[in-house]
Amino acid sequence: MRRSTAGSATVATMPAVLEARGLVKAFRGARAVAGVDLVVQPGERVALLGANGAGKTTTLLMVLGVVTPDAGSVDVLGHRLPGGRSRAMEGVGFAAGYLPLPEHLRVAEALGVFARLYGVADVDAAVAAGLERFGIAHLGAKLSTDLSSGQRTLAGIVKATLHRPRLLVLDEPTASLDPDVAQRVRTGLERACDEDGTALLVTSHNMTDVERVCERVVFLSRGRVVAEGTPAQVAARFRLANLEEVFLHLGEEEAS
Amino acid sequence: MTVALDRRRVLAVTRRHALVLRRAPQSWFDILVWPVVDTVIWGSIGVYAASQGGASGAGVAYMLSGVVLMHVLYQSNVATSTAFLQETWSRNLMNLMVTPLREGEFAAGVALYALGKLLVGLTMVGLAAWALYSFDITTAGLALVPVVAVLVLCGFAIAQVVVSVVLRFGNGAEIVTWGLLFVVVALSGAFYPPDALPAVLRPISAVLPTTHAFAAARASLDGDPFPWHQLALAAAGLLVILPLAVTFLVRSLAAFRRNGSITRYS
Repeated sequence: MRRSTAGSATVATMPAVLEARGLVKAFRGARAVAGVDLVVQPGERVALLGANGAGKTTTLLMVLGVVTPDAGSVDVLGHRLPGGRSRAMEGVGFAAGYLPLPEHLRVAEALGVFARLYGVADVDAAVAAGLERFGIAHLGAKLSTDLSSGQRTLAGIVKATLHRPRLLVLDEPTASLDPDVAQRVRTGLERACDEDGTALLVTSHNMTDVERVCERVVFLSRGRVVAEGTPAQVAARFRLANLEEVFLHLGEEEAS
Repeated sequence: MTVALDRRRVLAVTRRHALVLRRAPQSWFDILVWPVVDTVIWGSIGVYAASQGGASGAGVAYMLSGVVLMHVLYQSNVATSTAFLQETWSRNLMNLMVTPLREGEFAAGVALYALGKLLVGLTMVGLAAWALYSFDITTAGLALVPVVAVLVLCGFAIAQVVVSVVLRFGNGAEIVTWGLLFVVVALSGAFYPPDALPAVLRPISAVLPTTHAFAAARASLDGDPFPWHQLALAAAGLLVILPLAVTFLVRSLAAFRRNGSITRYS
């Protein structure tokens, strides 16, 4: 059993939904991740932050079992990867701003395929409820290739939450979205997490989003964790006013 | 590769590709147009050669049985390979890899879809041969069943090699989808006995299970006794190439994960 820092009280909780220890990954000799520890407790909302090339996406891909770490271990919902990947992913959802739904399919059809892959019992009801939750019920009959980038992002998040996952992993969910769509994404995510007790692990370059949605942030720089805590704690540690300033400060350090 | 398969996930993969087939008219070309075009080309070559005294009636039958059976190999290979490529073209690999879907379930779902396409394509080529050249492939008799089974499994084995090569080298390598198939068809003597091949190629031809499957079909069309010998050689070849193809695929997938190659498709 571990202690959760979620919320104001420190309470005994269930085991972590994600526990990654000592993750290391190099590509062609260049180290992308150099010993990252990352733990997410049930219901916790965590942001993984850092400049481009800091190792965020590589860390997420290892956590999801898509990339094999050179060293370290990943346990998701009590299942050790890679052997327990399939069982672990039954309780995980993933969406990214850059990842479209498959072409040639209507949105509802594509979502229906993913609902089946996740083992959802009532596929049609889950798809309808998911589209409704993010305010895009009218897009169900559209071809996935006819969606705008904002609609694609929303449909991707619906895909990732169809099965009411215990851990939702999002890579840049609000990148290049209009403010109103980004707001809808934030509101929908907060509702989904509140209703289902879903833990959130998100990368973003939008520090305003992060401060609104996440209770804990983990900053990466050159593949290492360089700061971790609540947004206020991290800003205070660097004697800066907010996360935006911390982000810029670390970015400058990384560039130098 | 995990053995346990979830039926719902297998059928979800089949459904996904059936939906694509319904919406992508170009996919119908493979199963409706190409079989007829092939039948006309090879059937007409056979008829012309026979009219010039260059081939007997049996020669025409070899051509037409060759084109029908080549389509068994073609459909099982191309339907499987392009179903995987479809996931790369539509950048859907990542979406699939973060679901509970196992590699074996994806392969089984795609194989089921390929068998459906094969059935339609085979019906088309069989009907075309019968309607245009009065050639009935079923006259080959019961030997046709194991011959088709061998060719389907060979098509799947070639598809596994194709997918492995694409996993390792990216979509630039997708030419092997069709290229490798036609190399195998040429070496297997689909339209001619392997003796007609240049001597240097005959040893390669002799080890291919497809060579013995086509030979078994020709023997049956000639009215020879049930071709146990050829079918046994084909089965033995399969027992070698199938595990090799699966091993290559499993290793390529491990390399794909190790090298972080998913970023090519996201």
